[in-house]
Amino acid sequence: MAAGQRRLRLYVTIGQRLLRDSLLFQILLDSEVELVGESETGVATLNHLQAARPTVLLIEENLQDNDGLTIAEHALTMNPSLSVLLISDTPVSNGRMAIYLEAGIKAVVSKDQPIQELIKTLFYIRNGQVYIGNRRQQPEPAAMLAYQALSGREREVAQLMASRLPVRDIAGRLGVSCKTVHSYKDRIFVKLGFERLPELILFMQRHQHGAAE
Amino acid sequence: MATSAVAEILLRYDDDQERQHFETLFGDDFAIQAFASDQTALDHLASASTLPAAIVLVPDQPDGHLESSLLSEVRDRYPGILKILIGDAIALNLLVTLLDDQLIDRCFEQPVDLDVIRSHVLAAALTREAQSSAPDTREAPEGPSPAILIVDDEPTATRYLSRQLAHMQTEFRVQSAISAEEALLTLRDDGNVAVVMTDQRMPGMHGKELLDELRQSHPTIVRILTSAWGEVDVAMDAVNEGRIFRYQRKPWRADELLNLFRKALAHHRALVAARDSSRSLAEQQFAELRQQRHARLLEHLSDRVDSVTGEPTTADFLDTLTSIRTLPAQPPHLRASRETTLEHDLMRDFVGLVGRQLDNLEPDAPPNPLTRRAFEKALTDALDNPAAASETQTPLMMLCHSLATLLNASGLKGTALEITQAGDHLTVTNTNAFHMYSHLLAPITRLSRPLLEQQTALLMLFVSSRLLAGDIDTDGGDQSLWVSLRLPARAD
Repeated sequence: MAAGQRRLRLYVTIGQRLLRDSLLFQILLDSEVELVGESETGVATLNHLQAARPTVLLIEENLQDNDGLTIAEHALTMNPSLSVLLISDTPVSNGRMAIYLEAGIKAVVSKDQPIQELIKTLFYIRNGQVYIGNRRQQPEPAAMLAYQALSGREREVAQLMASRLPVRDIAGRLGVSCKTVHSYKDRIFVKLGFERLPELILFMQRHQHGAAE
Repeated sequence: MATSAVAEILLRYDDDQERQHFETLFGDDFAIQAFASDQTALDHLASASTLPAAIVLVPDQPDGHLESSLLSEVRDRYPGILKILIGDAIALNLLVTLLDDQLIDRCFEQPVDLDVIRSHVLAAALTREAQSSAPDTREAPEGPSPAILIVDDEPTATRYLSRQLAHMQTEFRVQSAISAEEALLTLRDDGNVAVVMTDQRMPGMHGKELLDELRQSHPTIVRILTSAWGEVDVAMDAVNEGRIFRYQRKPWRADELLNLFRKALAHHRALVAARDSSRSLAEQQFAELRQQRHARLLEHLSDRVDSVTGEPTTADFLDTLTSIRTLPAQPPHLRASRETTLEHDLMRDFVGLVGRQLDNLEPDAPPNPLTRRAFEKALTDALDNPAAASETQTPLMMLCHSLATLLNASGLKGTALEITQAGDHLTVTNTNAFHMYSHLLAPITRLSRPLLEQQTALLMLFVSSRLLAGDIDTDGGDQSLWVSLRLPARAD
């Protein structure tokens, strides 16, 4: 944990369990994040917020019981140093973004953006900074080009890793040391811009029949 | 910034390579106007029809811009424009001086984080209208004397300084705390703290963290960071993220600090004045909007609704809403009402929803003498099956569906209703308040389905209880509502 950074105490308000769990599986891989509470509804969020003392609130705009933005405005009245990240169903226009920022929302991520964008945003806003991500669509080509620029051996390692082979077995199969495999792994992650194995696995499987072959 | 326009950056460069590099990085995000001299940049500003969101300096020698006419002109004449310095290596001295003269608002070292710069510029562009340009030189108001809070884990130095300052003036008090945690407690107890000067390196919470926290929780308190260590990265973060007013190097000199605190107090007064005037302006402007909404709702609903009940039900409903206190109006609410289709959509969607509910009403269902058992069964059905609200409904079903919607929106169950039979009447009251975080006559930033459904349910509660020949009594509180229904009923 970097000096002077406060721990990210996260509260999550997402109606659907499936979406909430999927996000949390990814977000909680980071050791700096601590889940201090979760709710399905806005009312439950406001009821639990004081006791949970989160530093960041991740909340869906469309909740079953109340409007997520209205709930966020009340949460901010209760705790003005809370950083709120709003999840919207669709991308927001500049006009709406201005309204959100004035209302004290630190960032908005829409449901058609990749999970990496949400996690990146979470860390940017943790100390109360506003974050406005790149909202122009940036489809895969960046990672795809990076993949094509990998060496033959790196691609081989990437494929074996994506088939969930342990490092020891990859080393055995390629006839190299575990240390060498680890350094391949580091290089692959840096070049592709990934931070976690699940990202690599998803990328490789998604493109198995495309350029990643 | 118009909603579709690309934010503009005025770039001041010395080296053409720097310009090209900047344009490669940000050309897709912003419209960039680049100038190689202060004068050409100023000429452009003077003749431009729209002002840029930010001025970015990418100088060869950052020191050369200490006397920048561009920066000082922009500071004095265009206070809404964000001033950003990007350099290869920023010296602490330079940063401190630029900050003292208010020549820059943000400062970054190469290589920059594109996302961070983009966020700063876009946020400035999007919220520019909200920024105030209240003057910095207001007279001290009457009232309790303001306090300067000094946070440092070395109490001897602080005590000595406090005594010196107390001898030199009577404009402010000096408070001290030996940790950020203690400072937060002091702030809770002393509502007159106007300026906080904190050391960076302390056990526990660091100075920068404290300032980040204060920026959000106490935006009108002026923030000063002080340190004996020349950590330029800490200073830069404090400028960019903590938005500090000044960076004060140690050791302290009382006369220097007296001067600094006087400036900080003036700045604090300007911030408070700007906040107060923005608040009262928002309240005042929203009061007009609320009146318009009230009139339009009455106009669009009363014919239809009141003809069903034979009474001025719409007006009663609106009176109830007026009694519910919500959060005060703020600039984003006004912006939503004026710059988006919110007001139009609100009217269209609410009137439409109410119309459909009334269409589904079985008008000629004779008001059977109600019994407690029949009521409880209808309520259970409504709570179990909220979707049925879209089908044909008797007044009793409508009443129970309305109650179910109000309970759901408040996270309550049927047990939150108290149902009692007294003589030939059934009374139904909520023992837990119905939450009403927003309503049709409240400041709204966004129209949502739950809001519309909850508001429709409340109106339908009025309609259906009248159709059942009953009375409805309401009591509004802080974001909450108490309802008492009195319905004619015979004993089971």
